[in-house]
Amino acid sequence: MAHVSAAELETDSLQTLAQATVGCDFRIRFLEGPACEQLRRLGFCETLRVRKLSHGRNLICTVCGTRMALSRELAQQVKGTPLTAA
Amino acid sequence: MTAREMETVVLAGNPNVGKTTLFNALTGKTGKVANVAGATVDLKTGETFTPHGQKLRIVDLPGCLSLNGEAPDQQLARRALLGELEELGKPDLALCVLDASNLERNLMLALEVIEAGLPVIVVLNMIDVAEASGIRLDPVVLSEELGVPIVPVQANKQHGIVELKQAIRHPLPPASGAPWASAEHPVEARQQLALELCELAARRPDSHQSTLSDKLDAQLIHPVLGWVYLIAIMFAVFWSIFSFAAIPMGWVEAGQGWLEGLVAGAMPEGDFRDLIISGIIGGVGSVVVFLPQILILFFFIGLLESSGYMARAAFMMDGLMSKVGLSGKAFLPLLSSYACAIPGIMATRSIDSAKERLTTIFVAPWMSCTARLPVYFLLIPMLLGGSEGGLTQALVLLAIYVFGTLSAFVVARVLRGRLGEDAQPRHFTLELPPYRAPQWGYVFRHLADRGWSFLRKAGTVIMGISIVLWALSTYPKSDSDDPAEMLQHSLMGRISSTVEPVVRPLGFDGRTGTAVLTSFAAREVFNASMFQLFRVEEIEEDETASRDRLRQRLAEETWEDGTAMFRPLTVISLLIFYIYALQCLPTSAVTARESGSWKWAAGQFVFMTGVAALGSLLVYQVGSLLGF
Repeated sequence: MAHVSAAELETDSLQTLAQATVGCDFRIRFLEGPACEQLRRLGFCETLRVRKLSHGRNLICTVCGTRMALSRELAQQVKGTPLTAA
Repeated sequence: MTAREMETVVLAGNPNVGKTTLFNALTGKTGKVANVAGATVDLKTGETFTPHGQKLRIVDLPGCLSLNGEAPDQQLARRALLGELEELGKPDLALCVLDASNLERNLMLALEVIEAGLPVIVVLNMIDVAEASGIRLDPVVLSEELGVPIVPVQANKQHGIVELKQAIRHPLPPASGAPWASAEHPVEARQQLALELCELAARRPDSHQSTLSDKLDAQLIHPVLGWVYLIAIMFAVFWSIFSFAAIPMGWVEAGQGWLEGLVAGAMPEGDFRDLIISGIIGGVGSVVVFLPQILILFFFIGLLESSGYMARAAFMMDGLMSKVGLSGKAFLPLLSSYACAIPGIMATRSIDSAKERLTTIFVAPWMSCTARLPVYFLLIPMLLGGSEGGLTQALVLLAIYVFGTLSAFVVARVLRGRLGEDAQPRHFTLELPPYRAPQWGYVFRHLADRGWSFLRKAGTVIMGISIVLWALSTYPKSDSDDPAEMLQHSLMGRISSTVEPVVRPLGFDGRTGTAVLTSFAAREVFNASMFQLFRVEEIEEDETASRDRLRQRLAEETWEDGTAMFRPLTVISLLIFYIYALQCLPTSAVTARESGSWKWAAGQFVFMTGVAALGSLLVYQVGSLLGF
């Protein structure tokens, strides 16, 4: 019987912030893409918990208690795992 | 003590953390806006005293997320902190203002400021908001960990200001070390440290709490309902401008009439009295009467900004603006330009992309500003017949606004395409601040600034032009008593004769052409020029009746062949000219400063005026060929 490690399971459940469902809490695992520094300046970083509030061309999420609108392209560079569904 | 001898304290921090509120709390009402040569943003400077009576200069820097960004405001903040601005010199102390409810993000900048090697005091502002959010703040622990003094304040209520003034007295705190700065990836190191500090000194409750802002946003930025609210709010703003302003406009007219009566009673007849009444009071009055409308527009813009709704409007508009190559961040500058292009152009500093910023600056003057309103109010009734007011005229006015805006969008689309993409792709990000009750102090201070700026312009540029116009239309004097012959003999009459062959293809006679020429310094002057050039006396205390009288006079004017001079086609030609022409020297000066190039300002002037002349020519010639 093939064994699957916890790390591999987590990799399987990874999704981007753009893919996350609205109302979902989301734990950031890593930032990947050309705009990482811009995202870091905005407060996005590994292990941080964010909540996605709306979907669309620009999505809205709360990060560190601040409501932030960001483009879908940026949200695609935020990789993490969903924590709860609203 | 001179400004250079005084010790300088700079206020640094992220946008929207209450720096300006703190600045005002520290300096009282002494804060002034100082334009720094070569810079693209404003620095506010003021003075305060420590509890021991020492005078300090306080400088409010532009809000920024990082000192390493490329946006002009971030560059200016960095240069100011590093002492690279000659006007400021090296700061003696930095007050790093943080939003206590959002330390995870705000501490990043504080760490950068500490790295700059300056003595730093961290000011935790908005502690009331942090407490309401359930954040457990521990300023003592934060101070120990950072090695700098921490002062909690609530600047809008003046809480903690005395403690802050105690902290900035001598001896100033020494510069703290910044061991994290030597890390291989300093951005990540700062971020990690900020999170660790928040774990120790700003614990946030685990669960996301639904706030009033959440509930309001569910309605106000809803994909469908959000548009209904946005359109309703914008309609209410513009409707208020045209309905509420009538009462204070009546007061201005009454004041003007009273002043004219006072001068007429106190001075003997003669040229000097004529200059005061017709030249100065009449000329300046025909412009000052629009002050209430301008103030009402600025009041609503201040209200929307202060409440937090403007950011939501920018968010809603981003999709629409992207169709013409702009982003939601261009919405506020363009909306402000409906009041006046100057603050609109200055508001473009919040746009990250240099090319988008240049494009927004270029098209901003095509948003019909309030200076055009006097011209529109004079011309629209001529197009439709009857006196001022009514739904049809309001719809024509709305159509003019829409026409100007659509033209600006077309040019923005073309220009953005020609300028090409940014070297680094820019992504839309926008902080949506929590909704707050409007800060009335901020709103009314902003209003007073704009009102004073308008009155200063009326008292200097417009008064100067009015005096010159009066002199040109009065001298040299002729022996005749016929006003038409007197004007024909004057310098203005001679200029009109020279100008006429140039403006005739646009449908204007020499006098109208001269009125257009005189309004190139400030377009509001057009009405005053028309009164002077067509020798129409204004009626005391009633600007509306005066304009009726001028329209009646214009309707009677004929060409040499007996045909009416001011046909609807001529009026449309004039309207087209005023929608497009850039007739505002201060706007050109601000464009040059904000774009960093006089070429850009000159190109904008030539392009807009060229389009205006060409548009008028086409409308008049094609319309005439079609028999209108």
